[in-house]
Amino acid sequence: MNLDLTWRLLKGGGRRGLLGTWLTLAAVAVSTALLLFAVAANFAFAARADRGAWRTPVPAEGRPAVAVEAARFDFVRDRAITVVDLAALDPAAPAPPGMPRFPKPGETWLSPALAELARTLPAGELAARWPRQAGVLGDAALVHPDELVAVVGRAPDDPEMTAARSEDWIAGRPPTKVADLRGRTSEDSEAYQVLTLIASVLMVVPLLVFGGAAARLTVARRDQRLAALRLVGATPGQVVGMTVAEAVIVAFAGAVAGVAAYALALPLLARIPMAGGPWYAGDLWPGLLVVAGTLVAVPLLVGLSAVAGLRRVVVSPLGVAKRETPPALRFVRVLALLAALAAVPVLGMGVSAGVIAAVIALAFLCVNLVGPWVVALVGRIAAATARRPARLLAARRLIDDPRSAWRTVSGVALTGFVAGFIGLLSPGVFSGDEGPPQLRLAVPAGQTAEVAGQARERLERAGVTATVAESKKTVVAALGSSADAAGVDRARTALAGLVPGHTASTEADDQRFGTQILADVRVGTVVVLAVSFLVAIASAGITAASSILDRRQTYALLRLAGTPLEVLDRARRTETLLPLAVMGGGAIAVGMICAVPLMMGAMNATGAITLLACVVLGFGGVAGAGALSRPLLRSVTADPAPRPD
Amino acid sequence: MNDVLVGRALVKRFGQTVALGGVDIAIRAGEAVAIMGPSGSGKSTLLHCLAGIMKPDDGEVHLLGQRIDRMRERERSALRRTRFGFVFQFGQLLPELPAEENVALPLMLGGVARQEAVRSARAWFVPLGLHGMEQRRPGELSGGQAQRVAIARALVTKPAVVFADEPTGALDQQTGHDTMRLLVEATKHNGASLIVVTHDPNVARACDRMVEVRDGRLLAGGVPA
Ligand SMILES: Nc1ncnc2c1ncn2[C@@H]1O[C@H](COP(=O)(O)OP(=O)(O)OP(=O)(O)O)[C@@H](O)[C@H]1O
Ligand SMILES: [Mg+2]
Repeated sequence: MNLDLTWRLLKGGGRRGLLGTWLTLAAVAVSTALLLFAVAANFAFAARADRGAWRTPVPAEGRPAVAVEAARFDFVRDRAITVVDLAALDPAAPAPPGMPRFPKPGETWLSPALAELARTLPAGELAARWPRQAGVLGDAALVHPDELVAVVGRAPDDPEMTAARSEDWIAGRPPTKVADLRGRTSEDSEAYQVLTLIASVLMVVPLLVFGGAAARLTVARRDQRLAALRLVGATPGQVVGMTVAEAVIVAFAGAVAGVAAYALALPLLARIPMAGGPWYAGDLWPGLLVVAGTLVAVPLLVGLSAVAGLRRVVVSPLGVAKRETPPALRFVRVLALLAALAAVPVLGMGVSAGVIAAVIALAFLCVNLVGPWVVALVGRIAAATARRPARLLAARRLIDDPRSAWRTVSGVALTGFVAGFIGLLSPGVFSGDEGPPQLRLAVPAGQTAEVAGQARERLERAGVTATVAESKKTVVAALGSSADAAGVDRARTALAGLVPGHTASTEADDQRFGTQILADVRVGTVVVLAVSFLVAIASAGITAASSILDRRQTYALLRLAGTPLEVLDRARRTETLLPLAVMGGGAIAVGMICAVPLMMGAMNATGAITLLACVVLGFGGVAGAGALSRPLLRSVTADPAPRPD
Repeated sequence: MNDVLVGRALVKRFGQTVALGGVDIAIRAGEAVAIMGPSGSGKSTLLHCLAGIMKPDDGEVHLLGQRIDRMRERERSALRRTRFGFVFQFGQLLPELPAEENVALPLMLGGVARQEAVRSARAWFVPLGLHGMEQRRPGELSGGQAQRVAIARALVTKPAVVFADEPTGALDQQTGHDTMRLLVEATKHNGASLIVVTHDPNVARACDRMVEVRDGRLLAGGVPA
């Protein structure tokens, strides 16, 4: 087609046209980078789950067993160590992941982080638990680079491999005869994957809205020129072709920049702690196929969005020059939202995560559908009650183009949905018992007296003062109020291996997984909110700038006629903050309603603070992004002979 | 002398270009003056200097004896809002505002209550042949109708001087002619002076006086006899 003409249109757009092009490029780059992040997070958790799978043994069941595998957790300071016990049943047992060969009985292989810790802490606190360290585990054995893992080789008849263990998978895995060491992904890693999927949905929806806004920015820039081209006789096909070609060229450049930005940000993103540690950068790299797909899909979506935005120009050559009252938005949209909300109470804990995610996504999309309708309503109310000119200008603009006003605030409003959802959802901190630490050790029935005696002896030898008591199935070593973290680790090390298959643990240790999940939910929340805010604020800034560019002639002429800049500026501010207040508040409420069926206990201070921080950041961010375009307004209106270019 | 607006020895340069090379001009109360001249001769520049939109590099501008070219932008802006009216070629109406609110806007900016401002604005519609157009938005008006709304907006504040830069430039000849007649009549009727830049001799004929600009200088008629 007219690629040559397109290229000249792109280059010859003038300084302000060029500004629009750059804004689009930047917007597409930001969207692409964040999109990659949202997608890559799923791959990253999947990669972690796959690498950790070998520690969850799958019973051989009929196939010839080659080894016995068991796993439990041990602790050092406030961190968990995964201890995997392996015994070969067949000399040809395969080497576990990250190891050159199957471990011989008595040998221990430590992960790099654990080996480092064993080196730096006094031997009596950690290293003495594994007297024969044979090597260091490779990355293939580890979920993340800081993970603490010990692989211990055993003989098949070692008590560790035969003693009964807890059936609770949170505490460990009982010895299992396995046909290979592939294992399967664990329940908790699958839970993480579901949560990540929900988080991705929450991030991707505003991203798509933002991408659409960015695409229409190119079109807005070209509206007038294209209408002119149409007037001189270009066919609709040519007009569409040229604009879409332009949008796609810019979007492709933006997508490439976005991929580069993501690659550059990768080392930083890899440091986000999740499930106890940072990431292998490779896990966060979504792979060439996904990157290539993004580079195709993003320009395609932008092109489609441009076509949609162009319909007006194409339908009639005067479509842009003559602006008419837009048709009223349909009430159906509100009904759709109400229907989605009505579905929420039906959800209980029993429903599968996929259904919950789908309903949430649906409610989320409905908020986006209702947005323009409510914005127009807000505009009508404000127009009816406005006394000052700025308010009137803002209100009329909201009525005139509720969709574009919604685009400005949709990001933050939708983030309000996330904040409302998470604000209610984030559970409180576990109430830990204060007091001197106690190590508990589960003991097979009838052996408590014997184990208690040995425990006293071991602790004494290690120089730990403790009162050892026994109950029916546990032995408890109370360490006294003077015991510090090092003392607890000395006691742990002294008691290591006392009861095969069981770990001496404090109450805090037992709650470690709960606190870990809480910490992860909180990190996840912050990440999702940060992404949403980035999108929201960027889109607020871009929309504010493009709305000035679109109306530069009118603004300039109003200014010539003596309209104070402050009035125009205040109108712009009102035009953004008014719908933001209404829609942001509404979205928070909808988010909260969605979270109610999933709530555990009452709303807590953390949730309330997160929510408040969101509202403050949202308003501040949007107001700030709008203020950034003030110099643009000033420069646009400084032109004494304004013409539509 | 009842000169409303006086420009003395006005000079304006854009880099090497001398847009105005020492112009003397005086406008009387209630007088309609046409400024003519070839493209690029400095007509718009002269208008902008007289209206306090641009600061001349040299010379003075007086409104009713008060010097206005030395005022700060804020004061000049207020002056344009209250003492002057403007009609441009096109694109001066806010597209999302109904016609009557476009007209009422300058009054509201001046602190008049909204209902009062809209009532005053409406009073302009019938005399200007805009009956029934009050609620229409600019996109729903013809070019000539939109210019008449712009005329109402320029006059609603009862200005001393109305400036019009090619107000009929985007209209066909007949509509342009009608619109021009309305502009001149309406300004006269309100006792305001009119300065109109035009290429159209017919427009000039509708005015009391015509001054001609060539290469930034007035050929004749700058100061009324
Ligand atoms: N902002 C500017 N920067 C540089 N030169 C300018 C600027 N504005 C006007 N000029 C120059 O000053 C001269 C007078 O311009 P002006 O706009 O007053 O002409 P005009 O008589 O109104 O022309 P037209 O009939 O085409 O509107 C021209 O040579 C023009 O190029
Ligand atoms: Mg001119």
